[in-house]
Amino acid sequence: MNPDIVETVNVAREVAWLPWAVQYFFLIGLSYGAFLVSLPGVVFRRAGWDGISRLALLAALVCGLTAPVALLADLHQPGRFWHFYAYFSPDSWMSWGAFFIPVYLGGLMLYAWLAFRPLLASHAAAGGRLAPLAGWLAFGGHASRNALYGAALLAAIGAVLVALYTGVEVMVVRARPLWHTPLLPLQFFITALAGGIGLTLLFRRFAPVAREGDAAVLRLARALALTQAAVLAVGAVWLGLGLSGLSAVHAEALAQVAPSASWQLTAIWAAGATALTLLLAWKRPGSGLLIGLLALHSAWMMRWTIFIGGQEVPKTGAGFYTYQLPLGPEGLMGIVGTAGLWIFLFVALTTLLPLERLGRPQA
Amino acid sequence: MKHHPDSNPDRPQSDARRAFLRGVPVLTAAAVLMPAPARAAEGGQHWGMLIDVRKCIGCQACTMSCIQENAVPEGSFRTVVSTYAIKVEGGDQPAGTYVLPRLCNHCDEPPCIPVCPVSATFKRADGVVVVDGDRCVGCAYCVQACPYDARFINHDTGKADKCTFCAHRLEAGLLPACVETCVGGARIFGDLNDADGELRRRMEAAAGELKVLNPGQGTRPNVYYIGLDARFEGKVEGQGTLWRPRAVHG
Repeated sequence: MNPDIVETVNVAREVAWLPWAVQYFFLIGLSYGAFLVSLPGVVFRRAGWDGISRLALLAALVCGLTAPVALLADLHQPGRFWHFYAYFSPDSWMSWGAFFIPVYLGGLMLYAWLAFRPLLASHAAAGGRLAPLAGWLAFGGHASRNALYGAALLAAIGAVLVALYTGVEVMVVRARPLWHTPLLPLQFFITALAGGIGLTLLFRRFAPVAREGDAAVLRLARALALTQAAVLAVGAVWLGLGLSGLSAVHAEALAQVAPSASWQLTAIWAAGATALTLLLAWKRPGSGLLIGLLALHSAWMMRWTIFIGGQEVPKTGAGFYTYQLPLGPEGLMGIVGTAGLWIFLFVALTTLLPLERLGRPQA
Repeated sequence: MKHHPDSNPDRPQSDARRAFLRGVPVLTAAAVLMPAPARAAEGGQHWGMLIDVRKCIGCQACTMSCIQENAVPEGSFRTVVSTYAIKVEGGDQPAGTYVLPRLCNHCDEPPCIPVCPVSATFKRADGVVVVDGDRCVGCAYCVQACPYDARFINHDTGKADKCTFCAHRLEAGLLPACVETCVGGARIFGDLNDADGELRRRMEAAAGELKVLNPGQGTRPNVYYIGLDARFEGKVEGQGTLWRPRAVHG
């Protein structure tokens, strides 16, 4: 900061991408991250992944269904969402995203339905809650492997496209140096995968199933540790490129936030949380509860810092804008509302597909 | 053949004076209505603005007239004069004031346009960058992409908002409100394609001093500055102000 210049009159441009956007990027990231965790057990039938992959698929479904609502709410004209489809604009990553989201969610819902049909039929046969509805949804309850492979492939293509567009959409904004770094999509992807693993661990923790030595938890904990090592490695590369000046865009991004005490604290907090998650996941995974929560915390915090923190950096003015979370729909209620919808969907889906039934290894 | 009285070369001087006096109100009205220096000619214009920072007195008349003209909601701004207190070395007084009028730069390579997911924002043939309010979804992607912080979400309309060079006034042959009200004559508006217009003449006269904001962004702005201090071309490295007007959600 140059002490010889004091800004006396200027405009504070408010945060235009609201906490709704943070919730969207967080939830869609958790969704495709958890979707990837579902593949080893549900599609590839890897030994030991059976129950945990179904729990991951549930996580992908709950987050995936919640995310677009948050995205819609972030529009200041939500009733005009159909304009995305009426006025396709190929130069805009956001425009492409409007088409990628249905591909992913369509594939995911089909994949989940095909994967869960036998379980829905079992639930109906056992006379569980809402058994008639479960029986109707099971539609015979057959396991259609070929259809499952096709749906999983469609969802996988959609997941890759969603991961790509959510990262690049932000990265291309040259006006915000903090966003305009080529490593950003990779950072979004790794933290999303870590968050997906973390949420699966939480589901596993609360699924009343035999722990069987918790081999599944150990397996996921190892995977989580690897993601955290990757997060630290990419972070170190980011910092190295910025400090050395080898990359002008990273140097510019670093220069914008490095002098700020609050940004320094944020960086230390993020690095510390990641290192702690890595250490615990590697050495003391326990029940998965703590490392699961830590992974979710890091994934959310990363997005909050990038989006809200990034918009606190003026493009032309001096210093930083200060953001205070409003208590209404454009702030806290947006976060609470998204969480409420997530809980509703979780309760609704686990009524038809109880965690115990999902997490239990199949014979 | 009967001569028309006005065509008679021998008519008395008093008649000529009367005719002159009769014409004064017409001339006066014409002078008032004349939107000098740049009356919108038919076709081929490329509107631009020159801001002579040396003449700006930081009165914010432009800010206020823009708000009045365009019904900009409280706390939002299409244009503003950023004001800075700067330390002065070797002068009689320790500090001076630097003022910098800001607005949409109506770039020739506008980064706000390609990001729009519904093609609601576009550049008109006359160079003015505008938002189609009937199409805008209020996603604020353009707000993020503008390197000049010139866009915002209008909470009265729920759409992206920005300076239009007062396009509705241009169509009526008038100057933008900020230019009309500039006390110091710091804002000069006109057609960049009109080699004889005042804008081009003033720009050519100041050729060595012309600058644009954020030249490194490659946006090719159409708002030019005379007297732009290099320390204020991009993000200003200084102490942030303690008070800023802020938009309030309605």
